[in-house]
Amino acid sequence: MKYDMIVVGGRIGGSVSSLIASQNDLDVLMIEKRQEIGTPVQCAEGTTYQTFETLDMKPSKKYICSDIEGAMVHAPDGRSIDLFEYGLMLENFTNEKTKGCILDRKIFDKHLAIQSAKAGTEIMVKTTVKDLIIKDGRICGVVAKHLGKTMEIHSDIVIAADGVESNMTRLAGLDNPKNPKDICSCAQYELVGLDVDPHWLHFYFGREIAPGGYLWIFPKGKESVNLGLGIRSPENTAYHYLKKFTAKLDATPVELNIGGVPLSGPIDKTYTDGLLVVGDAAGQVDPITGGGIHITASCAKIAGEVAARAIKMEDTSAKTLQEYDILWRKEFEEGLKTSLKYRKAADKLSDKDMNALAEYFVTNHSENFSKLGAIKFLGKHPHLLKLIKEFL
Amino acid sequence: MEYKADKCGYCGACVAVCPHELLKQVENQIIITEGCDDCGKCTIVCPLGALNSEECP
Repeated sequence: MKYDMIVVGGRIGGSVSSLIASQNDLDVLMIEKRQEIGTPVQCAEGTTYQTFETLDMKPSKKYICSDIEGAMVHAPDGRSIDLFEYGLMLENFTNEKTKGCILDRKIFDKHLAIQSAKAGTEIMVKTTVKDLIIKDGRICGVVAKHLGKTMEIHSDIVIAADGVESNMTRLAGLDNPKNPKDICSCAQYELVGLDVDPHWLHFYFGREIAPGGYLWIFPKGKESVNLGLGIRSPENTAYHYLKKFTAKLDATPVELNIGGVPLSGPIDKTYTDGLLVVGDAAGQVDPITGGGIHITASCAKIAGEVAARAIKMEDTSAKTLQEYDILWRKEFEEGLKTSLKYRKAADKLSDKDMNALAEYFVTNHSENFSKLGAIKFLGKHPHLLKLIKEFL
Repeated sequence: MEYKADKCGYCGACVAVCPHELLKQVENQIIITEGCDDCGKCTIVCPLGALNSEECP
């Protein structure tokens, strides 16, 4: 078997890169290890309307569960900050293009795979990629296993879209095992019965709630919510904190989702001879929020375009494929690096610090923000002043 | 390191951190190759405690 391009992984990164490549007349095979594309969900499902614009898709109610109109942040001491009222994240509530929404990933991912298949992509499900075929230092296919049968499949380009557990990047020598501090361990229930506004997001912070991360409540329409959390802590499991938070709620789960989110920022190199890396495998995830849908979709689109150009030029060497790395970094690297810097600073915030910051926001309403007020506040909290200095 | 398959949600978080690359994820199972030195990194990131933890779903 021989294809122009093999895509390993059939979620957003895989489907988008295969879709674009197929639209550009490449012979594409996409391989997904699960037997069903879109499941299990390993995502809080929040994104912005930019995702559809990037993908040239008309947003559809088929896979958009909720439009977001506001968000509330809850400090460890229970103090709540309305982000809309404080003029924070306004773009995500007001601008039509960058407005937030909650997806149904099962439907969205399947929809993308269907579009890709309609454009000509062949898809293999329940198939695991065991190895890369490397000849003279150049990747030229994969060894796959389907229902006990092992097969060699050749291609000029391989796209590694195989997630946080990517063994493609390891086999290609582009990534090393991660430090547990850089992996956010997540657990989430889709809950029925929770009385929340279907257009509002909630974020909870605190060592007792989600150490080293945060807890989210994202509405999925009027009937259910995604209530999940990500932690970075060796003391207890993400599931432990999920049970703890939901024990007091009068709501019942219809789904349990788990997963690891890479918060280390992008890997150093996302291309080599005959291979490109996209999505979680490439670390294309915001280290502060853990969100990656829009970044991944954008990068996967670039990967599909660069792959198509390389195949047409009959040159899939690292030198040609480097264009992908240059183009996606131009668009996202600075933002990801800044976010990583913020994340590292935020890692140092204690519950006390977060409570103090929340108090500052609540008592100094947006129109009352003043330099003098800020200086007085920081004078009272020298630890925070030190953190801010590290930023500047 | 003890792996309890009935507690596993096969999310792959453990695969991402194993320094010796002994863990592999096939569709709905984690396959562990011999050579573990009990470094404990996988137990830290496992959301369900399938790798030597007290939690039970």
